[in-house]
Amino acid sequence: MNETPLWASESFWKKTAIWVTAGSFLILVVLTMDSLSKTSAGSKRVPAYSVINKKIDYQYDKELHKFMPVIGETELLFGKEYSEEEARQLVDLGKKTTQAKNCMNCHTLLGNGAYYAPDLTKAWLDKGWISKEMREDMMVKFLMDPENNARTYGSNRKMPNLKITEQEAKGVIAFLKWMSSIDTNGFPYNFKTINAEE
Amino acid sequence: MIEPVALEDFFITFFSSALIILAGAGYALLFSWSKVNPSIRIKIAAYVSYAVLVLAVAVLTRAAHFQGYWLIISVLMAVGYFFAPIGIWHLCVKTHAGSNLKNNNNNNNNNRG
Amino acid sequence: MNTSGLNEAAQKAAALCEKSRACVNDFKAWVQLDSRNLSDGQQLAVKYFIVAVILFFAQILFGLLAATQFIFPGFLYEILDFSVNRMIHINAMIVWMLYGFIGCVYWFLEEESGTEIVGLKLGNIAFWVLTAAVTLVVLVYLLVQIGPGKDSSLWFINEGREYIEAPRWADIGIVVVMLIFFYNVVATFSKGKWSGIAGVLTLDLVALAGLYTAGMFYMTNITHEQYWWWWVIHLWVEATWEVLVGVIMAWSLMKLLGVRRKIVQTWLYIEVALMFGSGILGLGHHYFWIGTPEYWLTIGGFFSALEPIPLVAMVVHAVYDSGSHALKSGNHPALAWIIAQAFGNFFGAGVWGFMHTLPQINLYTHGTQWSASHGHLAFFGAYATINIAFFYLAIQHWRGDVWMGGGSQNAWRWKWALGLLNGGVLGMTIALLIAGYEQSFIERAVEGSTWGGYFTAQNHPSFQSAMIWRLFFGGMTFAGFILLVWDLLTIGKGETRKAPEIIES
Repeated sequence: MNETPLWASESFWKKTAIWVTAGSFLILVVLTMDSLSKTSAGSKRVPAYSVINKKIDYQYDKELHKFMPVIGETELLFGKEYSEEEARQLVDLGKKTTQAKNCMNCHTLLGNGAYYAPDLTKAWLDKGWISKEMREDMMVKFLMDPENNARTYGSNRKMPNLKITEQEAKGVIAFLKWMSSIDTNGFPYNFKTINAEE
Repeated sequence: MIEPVALEDFFITFFSSALIILAGAGYALLFSWSKVNPSIRIKIAAYVSYAVLVLAVAVLTRAAHFQGYWLIISVLMAVGYFFAPIGIWHLCVKTHAGSNLKNNNNNNNNNRG
Repeated sequence: MNTSGLNEAAQKAAALCEKSRACVNDFKAWVQLDSRNLSDGQQLAVKYFIVAVILFFAQILFGLLAATQFIFPGFLYEILDFSVNRMIHINAMIVWMLYGFIGCVYWFLEEESGTEIVGLKLGNIAFWVLTAAVTLVVLVYLLVQIGPGKDSSLWFINEGREYIEAPRWADIGIVVVMLIFFYNVVATFSKGKWSGIAGVLTLDLVALAGLYTAGMFYMTNITHEQYWWWWVIHLWVEATWEVLVGVIMAWSLMKLLGVRRKIVQTWLYIEVALMFGSGILGLGHHYFWIGTPEYWLTIGGFFSALEPIPLVAMVVHAVYDSGSHALKSGNHPALAWIIAQAFGNFFGAGVWGFMHTLPQINLYTHGTQWSASHGHLAFFGAYATINIAFFYLAIQHWRGDVWMGGGSQNAWRWKWALGLLNGGVLGMTIALLIAGYEQSFIERAVEGSTWGGYFTAQNHPSFQSAMIWRLFFGGMTFAGFILLVWDLLTIGKGETRKAPEIIES
C-alpha cells in the first residue's frame, strides 16, 4: 500500500525531466534553423536590403486573410539607386544607429521595446509624413533636430536631440523603409498607409 | 490562419481568458480540498467551478473565432484542466507515501512522518 | 602653492575617509549584526544580498522618474530622458534579481554540499569585479547615454537592446563572472556530495550562462536579431529563472518546513519537466509578429494554453500539504513572502499572461501597456517576492537564529512593508491594465496603429489618469521598500527567544 509506484518515483521523474527538456530543446533547435533560413534577408518574408529602391505599401490581403506588405515598382530613396551591397551598408548604419541611440527604450520596433513613443514597424508608411513628396526631407530633419521639428500630436512628448548626423539619419530612414517591407503576419492590424486614399 | 478578435469582443476575450485560469485554479483548489476534507458541498462547488471553466472556454472559442486547429486547444483546455488536478493529486499521494500513516484524508504531520 | 593645495586636498580626503569610517562603525553598532553567525559562504551571500537591495532601490527610483515623465514630459528632458530612466529601471531589476539568486545559491552551497566553498577567494574577487563593472555600466548609462552609430558605441556605451543593454565588454565580463560562479558550484559539490538539487542547479546554470551568449551578437537583420534576443529574455525569465527559483524553494522547504528530501527532489523534477516542457517552446508566443513563419502562431498558442499547468499543480500540492505543517514556522515574514510569491506568480504569470497571449488578441495588445502591466506583476510576483523571503531567512540566521514568529516586537513593520509593496505593485498593474486596454482599443483596433492613433490613445483622459494612478502606486511601492529596508535592518534586534530547530522528517 505504501510503496511508491514507478510513475511517482524520484528516478522516473528525473528521467522524464531530462527527456522533456532535451526533447523540447531539440525541437526548438530544429525550428530555429528553419525559421532563420526562412527569414534571412532576401527571403520571401524578409526582403533583400535593396528593397529600399522600391515602392512599399501595406494592404489587406483577402485571400491570406491578413495585412501584407506590397512591394511595387521602383521608387528611389534620396534619388539614388542602391546596389545590394550599398543598400546593406546603409541599412546596417541605420540599424546600428537605432541601437547606439537607444531608440528601443522609448519606441517599439516590431512591437518590442518601450511604450513612451509610437511603434516604428511601419513608420516609413505613416500618414504623419503628410505626403510621399515631403516624407524623406521631413524624416531627415526630424531625426537630426527633433525638438524644432517636433511631432507631438498635442501630447507635449518630444523626442530629445540625439545628435544624429545626416548620414546616420539617412541610414535610419533606409532601415525603417526596409523594416516596413517585412511580413509580420499582419501586425499591426488595420494600418492605413500614406499611400491610401482618404 | 487566425481570425482576430472583433472590436466589440475585446472585453469578453480578456474576461473569459482570465476566467479560464481562475476557474481552473478554483476547481483544482476545491477538488483537492474535497479530498482532504470529504464533503459533498465542496465537491459540488468544485464541479460548479469546472462548469464555469467549460463555459469560459466556450465563450473564448466563439470570441476568438477558433476554428480548425484552434478547436484542439479548446478541447485540450476543457479536458486537460479537468484531469490535471486529479492526476496531480494522485501524484501527491504517491510521492508522499511513507511519510503519512494513511494515504488519503491525511491531516498528519509530515514533520513527524 | 601647488603642493600645499595638494596637501590640503589630501587632508580633506583623509578627514572624509575618517568620517565615513566612523559613520560605518556607528551603523554597524546600530544594526548589531554578528557575522560570526555566518559561514564563509553565507558571508559572501550577504554581500550579494546587500548589492541586490541597493539595485532594487535604483529600480524603483528610476521607475518613478520614468513614470513621472509620462505625466510631465518636460521633466528632466534632455538631462535624463525617458529612455535612460527606463533602461536603468529594467536593467537594475534584472541585475538585482540575479544578485539575489547568486546570493541564495552561495547561502546554501556549503550546507547542501557538506563542505567548504572551494574557490571562496575567487568568489569574493568575482563579486567585487562584477559590482565594479555594474557601477561603471550604470555611470556610462547616466553620463554618456548614447553614441554614434558605430560598433564602438555597442562595445562601450550601450547595445540598445531592451533588457540586455549592457555594452559588449560588460557582456563578456558577466559571462566570466558567471563561469567563476559556476566553477564554485560544481567544484564544491564535487568535493562534497552531489544531490538532486545540486544536479538540477548545475544544469540550470549551464543553460543560464549559455543562453546569455546568444544575445551577444550584432545583426543587421532585425528579425534575426529579435529572434535571438528572445532566446535570452524568454528562456531566462520563463524557463531557467523559474527552475532556479524552484531549486531555491526546494531547499527552503526542507529547511523551513522540514519536508523530506526525497519528496522535495521528486517534486523538483516534476517541476522541471512541467516548466521546461511548457516554457521552452512557449518561446513561440514571442515569435508571432517579428517576421518569423506562421507556424509560430500555432506553437505559441498551444504552449500558452499549457503554461498554467505548473500553477495548477502548485495549487493542488499546496492544499495537499495544508494542515500538515502550515504556519508553524519561526519566521513569519519569510513565510508571508513565500505565500505572496505563490499568489503573485499565479496572477502575474498565469492570469495576466493568458489574458493577452493568444494571437487572436495579442495582435492588438502586443507592444502596448498590456505588456507593462503583465511585466510588473509577473516579475514582482515570481522573483522579487522569493528574493525578499530569502532576505528574511538570511537576516534571521545572521541574528543568531532568533525567533521571528508570532508575537515578535515591531511586527507591524514587516506587515506594512508587505502590504505596501504588494498593494503598490498590484495598483500599478491595474492602472497599466486600464491604460493597456484603452491603448489596444483606440490605438490598435480603431485607429490602426498609426502615429496619430498612438497619440490619440496617449492623450485620452482614461490613459492620462491611469498614468497618474500608476505614479501614485509607484510611490506606495517606494514607501514599502523603505519600510522593508528598515525592517530588515532591525528585525530580531533584542530578541532573545530562539527559533525552533527544524528537523527533516
